[in-house]
Amino acid sequence: MHDSRRIEHAAAEWLARRDRGDWSAHDERALEEWLRASTRHRVEFLRLESAWREAGRLQALAAGLPGGTVPPRGAWTLGPVAPAAYVRAARARAPQPGRRWRYALAAGFALAATASALWLGWRLGGRSEADYASTVGQVQAVTLADGSSAVLSSGSRVHVRMTRGERDVELLEGEAYFDVAHDTGRPFVVTAGGRHVTAVGTRFSVRSDAQDVRVVVTEGKVRLDAPPGADGRATPVSLLPAGSVATAGRNGVFVRSLPVAEAERYLEWRSGFLTFDDATLASAAAEFNRFNTRKLELADATVGELRIGGNFRWANLDSFVRLVEMGFPVRAERLPDRIVLHAR
Amino acid sequence: MPTDLDDWFAREILVHERALVHYLQRCWPQRDELHDLRQEVYARVYEAAARSRPASSQAFLFATARHLMTDRARRGRVVSIEPVGDFEPSNVYLVDDVSPERWAGARQALKRLAEALDRLPDRCREVVWLRRVEELPQKDVAERLGISGKTVEKHLAKGMRLIADHLYGGEPRGGALRAWTASEEDEDDARQQAD
Repeated sequence: MHDSRRIEHAAAEWLARRDRGDWSAHDERALEEWLRASTRHRVEFLRLESAWREAGRLQALAAGLPGGTVPPRGAWTLGPVAPAAYVRAARARAPQPGRRWRYALAAGFALAATASALWLGWRLGGRSEADYASTVGQVQAVTLADGSSAVLSSGSRVHVRMTRGERDVELLEGEAYFDVAHDTGRPFVVTAGGRHVTAVGTRFSVRSDAQDVRVVVTEGKVRLDAPPGADGRATPVSLLPAGSVATAGRNGVFVRSLPVAEAERYLEWRSGFLTFDDATLASAAAEFNRFNTRKLELADATVGELRIGGNFRWANLDSFVRLVEMGFPVRAERLPDRIVLHAR
Repeated sequence: MPTDLDDWFAREILVHERALVHYLQRCWPQRDELHDLRQEVYARVYEAAARSRPASSQAFLFATARHLMTDRARRGRVVSIEPVGDFEPSNVYLVDDVSPERWAGARQALKRLAEALDRLPDRCREVVWLRRVEELPQKDVAERLGISGKTVEKHLAKGMRLIADHLYGGEPRGGALRAWTASEEDEDDARQQAD
């Protein structure tokens, strides 16, 4: 073995020994001495130490895995998601045993510290599970394990479970747009508010509010159904072709058929816009509030009934408020955490 | 405790290892000396930077490599099989010019690490996973796998070396390296566009 190889091996042995957990001051002095003996020792040590430190990012791979199991090779699926919410949670408290894997992900990314952080789920024998989340004010594109893609609207959460026979997506909060990879053998089912939206290969969005679920289809066809109601009667199944905007509430499903281009306008939040067409200011404010932490409040009911239309950048609440002030008898009170609109 | 110099070295020099080794490989006929050359280049760069940091670390790294090869050729340690004069690293710059940025991309880094992990031998991979990912103490790893503490330590040392090789991508792999590098680059480029 060449000297350089021997040095590399020795450096690795030092690192492994230091990692053992019984490192003493005496050991430290011996290591210092070894490092001082030759710059070759030092650079090789630094090289391995730095790589080992980097390897800590592998903790991101353990997200969602039970402890103590070594996953098989190639069990990794890549998809970007912003872990901002998780990172915050991870900092807020030390990981508890049960939650450890959820937060391991965050730990990996705290190191990465870039806006385009990523997420690694895991996959074993065709099964995979993953959680994706976006924070308020953030629209997040993710690639799912089956090759489908999803765009999460502001403040949204989905849980994705893929098996050989099924692709299940649970919309826990907010809204998501799906571009479904074609796979006739595996229906793609989005569940929201007790409703099932089933597709094989198509594009649509599902949004969940406190009261209802809204589905917008821009390509292909999806099926909207719900489990039997409390009275045991089955609810009718709706087949929604492209251009459908369906609102499913407690009283049933209301479907509007629009030209596809018009239906697409419901999904302009993906490119940063909100589109209103003869909407009440109250509903427009609710829409802005989905995307911003600084809330828009209406002090008077009359203000909420004003009707507006247009195309607005959701990130630019201030300019929206200025326009409203210019066009209507409205006065805006600007507070740090919210803007209150008063009748003038 | 790592010093500023150590940080600088990891950040500015190690990230170019793949390009450096590629360069050495093109210029130096003795494959079995590449590891030694690489290590000495690092040592020289580190010592020079301890006195004063070079303005351009990448240019300085390649200049150091060039000088070292010229010195050795002159000392007659190598009988020149190929002309040893052409050490111009201009092509190398093109090959890996953006490596620090690429390095910084979390996606790339994690993909690379996952590959590095998957290339480890079975037992070594298990030990690395339990220790580095699950952060079990070494003695718990030994218990879990039913092996001795000493064996765990050995697997860790080996894992560190192999991960560094894959991560920095500099381990000479004979002629295979170039093709492998090229296809990796293409993949990365394609992915960046997809992003």
